[in-house]
Amino acid sequence: MTPSLPRLQHVIGSGIVAAVGLWVAYVSYTQQPSEAFLFPRLIATVFVVLALWTFAKACLGWTKVGNGISISQMANLTPGLIVTLIYIFWAAKGLGFYTATPIAFFILLSLYDPASHREVKSWLKRLFITACFVAVMYGLFAKLLKVYTPREIFF
Amino acid sequence: MKQLLAGAAIALMGLTTTAFAEGAENYPERPVMMMVSYGAGGATDFQARIVTMTAGNEDALGMPIAILNKPGAGGRVGWNWLATQADADGYTLGAYNVPHFIAQSIKGGVEYSTDSFEPIANWGADPAVFVVGADSDFNSMQDVVAFAKENPGKLTFSGAGLFVGHHIAALQLEKAADVKMAYIPNNKGGAGAMKAVIAGEVMGGINNLSDAFRAEQAGNVKILGVFDLERNEFLPDVPTLKEQGYDIDNASVNFRGIMVPKGTPEDVIEKLAATVPAMFENGKVAGKMKAGGSPMKIMTRDEVKQMWADRAATLKELLAGL
Amino acid sequence: MEFLYYFGDVFTPINFGLLMLGTIGGLILGATPGLSPTMAVALLIPFTFQLEAAQGLILLGAAYTSTVAGGAVSAILLKIPGAPANIATTLDGHTMAQKGEGAKALQLSFLASAVGGVFGVLLLIFLTPVLAKWALAFGPSHLFWLAILGVTVIGTLDSRSVVKGLLSGCIGLWLSTIGFDDIMGAQRFIFHPALGGGINIIAALIGLFAIPQVITMFAKGRRNDGAEVIEVQKHSILDAMKELMRNKRAMGIGTITGSIIGLIPGVGGQIAGLVAYDQSKKFSPDRDKFGTGHPEGVIAAEAANNAMVGPSLVPLLTLSIPGSPTAAVLLGGLLIHGIFPGTDLFDNHPDVAWTFINSMLIGQILMCIFGLYVAGMAARVAQVPQSVMAAVVLGLAVFGSYSVQSSMGDVYVMAALGVMMYFLERFGFSAAPLVLGLILGPIAEANFIQGSMIARATDGLGPYFLTGPLNIFLIAVVILSILYSAYMELRTRRYTSKEEIMA
Repeated sequence: MTPSLPRLQHVIGSGIVAAVGLWVAYVSYTQQPSEAFLFPRLIATVFVVLALWTFAKACLGWTKVGNGISISQMANLTPGLIVTLIYIFWAAKGLGFYTATPIAFFILLSLYDPASHREVKSWLKRLFITACFVAVMYGLFAKLLKVYTPREIFF
Repeated sequence: MKQLLAGAAIALMGLTTTAFAEGAENYPERPVMMMVSYGAGGATDFQARIVTMTAGNEDALGMPIAILNKPGAGGRVGWNWLATQADADGYTLGAYNVPHFIAQSIKGGVEYSTDSFEPIANWGADPAVFVVGADSDFNSMQDVVAFAKENPGKLTFSGAGLFVGHHIAALQLEKAADVKMAYIPNNKGGAGAMKAVIAGEVMGGINNLSDAFRAEQAGNVKILGVFDLERNEFLPDVPTLKEQGYDIDNASVNFRGIMVPKGTPEDVIEKLAATVPAMFENGKVAGKMKAGGSPMKIMTRDEVKQMWADRAATLKELLAGL
Repeated sequence: MEFLYYFGDVFTPINFGLLMLGTIGGLILGATPGLSPTMAVALLIPFTFQLEAAQGLILLGAAYTSTVAGGAVSAILLKIPGAPANIATTLDGHTMAQKGEGAKALQLSFLASAVGGVFGVLLLIFLTPVLAKWALAFGPSHLFWLAILGVTVIGTLDSRSVVKGLLSGCIGLWLSTIGFDDIMGAQRFIFHPALGGGINIIAALIGLFAIPQVITMFAKGRRNDGAEVIEVQKHSILDAMKELMRNKRAMGIGTITGSIIGLIPGVGGQIAGLVAYDQSKKFSPDRDKFGTGHPEGVIAAEAANNAMVGPSLVPLLTLSIPGSPTAAVLLGGLLIHGIFPGTDLFDNHPDVAWTFINSMLIGQILMCIFGLYVAGMAARVAQVPQSVMAAVVLGLAVFGSYSVQSSMGDVYVMAALGVMMYFLERFGFSAAPLVLGLILGPIAEANFIQGSMIARATDGLGPYFLTGPLNIFLIAVVILSILYSAYMELRTRRYTSKEEIMA
């Protein structure tokens, strides 16, 4: 981890926050009806001041930076994050909760479980854990709480 | 090849139509969901839970109805969801509150109107009443109006929000008595508005008859008038506004009932329209509603359609000046 | 002393069975992410149709009591606060669990809950008439100042940087304005249809706390270097009791803050835990240890959120005004049997009223016993491998946020906020102030607008918001709180170097 990486990330991060702040302020001061935006205007003003202050400090390097994300962490989290996003934003609704959940669960286990990928035994173990989890979820949410989740293909 | 395709298409069509017909005939095959656009525990939610509790009986739908709360912004959040995002398959019903959703659609800023929904049946009618704290100097609507005349814009009174039944009643009162008063909408609905009256934050308030009746029984408020055409069975001693000399009709009465989003299959609507009023008439439902102080009024689909149309016309006129 | 007379009714076989059922069921429901106490109680309402009034209320009362405490389980073990009441519990509780002290954290939280809870119910029994007046004393101007007081807590929640804490708070306040404005009904910042209903607080809580944790586990990768395996320490209940006795200050502050704030209609339950946490941090000589797995933090937060249960029912039982969403649901449970809260309840149905209140008293103790029983086993969750844990938490987050309102929109909001929070956390922002902003935003806004409407019709903005003993008292507390935070900020600056803060 190079010392400048977290600093650079910090500048980008606080820059995005500042940009959001400016956008919020712009919307609050221009949208109608203006009386409904009284409170947003108040918040946005403080928001922008604080965000610009943080951004300026980040650019000038005066600030304590957070831990940042190292290259290796980035590489580690990317596949999991992609699976998560596909699962939540498409598969859960598109395939149904009880189809998408075991698939996503199993992929995530395969990606991050340290057990060997070559042994049949560890694959069976992953399948078993997945099945247990889905069974518990089904029992809890579908049977006990009677939540009707999207279910395209089966249950 | 062409023949094969055509054959397949016909088979597919046959399949879907039979599946469709079957769906309507056997409807409902699974539990039905009913969206209530107010929070759990509110008057609408409470009544919705009671009137749907016998849905699982064989002589009703044969399947239970589960209540789903989508509260926010005086009901706008829930009805927007029902009009734009809910599946129109007969498994998603909604509770309506008239005049609330009609007034909101006239005022604008929402994605629904009376054309977005198909009424099924009406279960209750809860008139608005004028309440003041138990220790208030006001003893009749005359006292209230006299104070408002002397102090224009200074008489504060609470209600459940803007463009809901209470607000309509407030507008009617201001118009009929020709006074200017300060209506304070509450973000916590009828319960919050009632608290403001009891705590003395405001000088009076407009509230649901059912909640006001309860508060009066507890000795916390006085009820000065009913915004309806005739006196209510729960409050036989409280005169209507009309009796007290103000020309106010029943436009603010809060009608509650069941509707479905537009696009729901016609046969499903018919089946619901036929079974739901009978479900409301169940003796057990009536007993619980009466025990809870909630006035019932059962209306069929056609009667509700007429009522929606009448209300829309009245409200357009009333809200035109705003 | 009338309540003693009805104690026997709690112990009839059916009533006691229902009490046990409500308590155990409540613990499970409370520990399920996405099920707030209000939801859990609403789920049980249909069962009460079949029961007698007193029996139905025993079930609901027991469930209310134990869902509030059950929320601590997922807060401590999974870092998913079950309800806003449990946010403060995650701050130290989850850190303790990560250190292998999950059993201790759970035991302390259940013991503190029981002590706070019993105190709260006793207040309900003995001081109801006095408390009812107090609950009504808070009008719009006072609630507004109370919300502002909540905002000043932000400064102490984020120990790293006050500016970033406040900025997170602002982001939360802004997020709370998304959706329909509650009074005018105008649409604000709805740039995606999923936001039409605003941001649901429970879904947001799940996303902001659970998702960053899932991604953090992803970031650790597939390697298992052995250092990650946590040894779950056994912890005897006796030691937990001794620990509790050592922390009388946190216990006392938690209980009293919870009872007082719990009374205030509409505000109490959500911020009682956080305010108590903040107060005990300010009064503690070990204030630097807060946030690093310090038992005092867990004790104060949990004592407060269960102490609030009893007083939160005062406005309902005496004035028939439901002070919280859960109280509103309980009101339904009474009305369905034709019982009106208020004088009618205590004069004509004392058996119902007192059996209900007594059952909450017994419920607190039963909840504590069951909780202590499972604490040791539940703490083993910390031993679950990271990969499994990440997938389980993700699955729970999706199901939990969906089940709040049966809405995919809430799941999308949950995920979007969660991913955003992960990156913000890496740059030194934290989730707690953001959530606090999200909770306080609507309270501050609605009360400010209502207050200013009343003020304009009567004596004007200045006198309405700035005069009256309660306003002045609250303003003074706000100013003291700000001064104290500023003083602490300056003091820590002097003693800590940048490198230490970075760690």
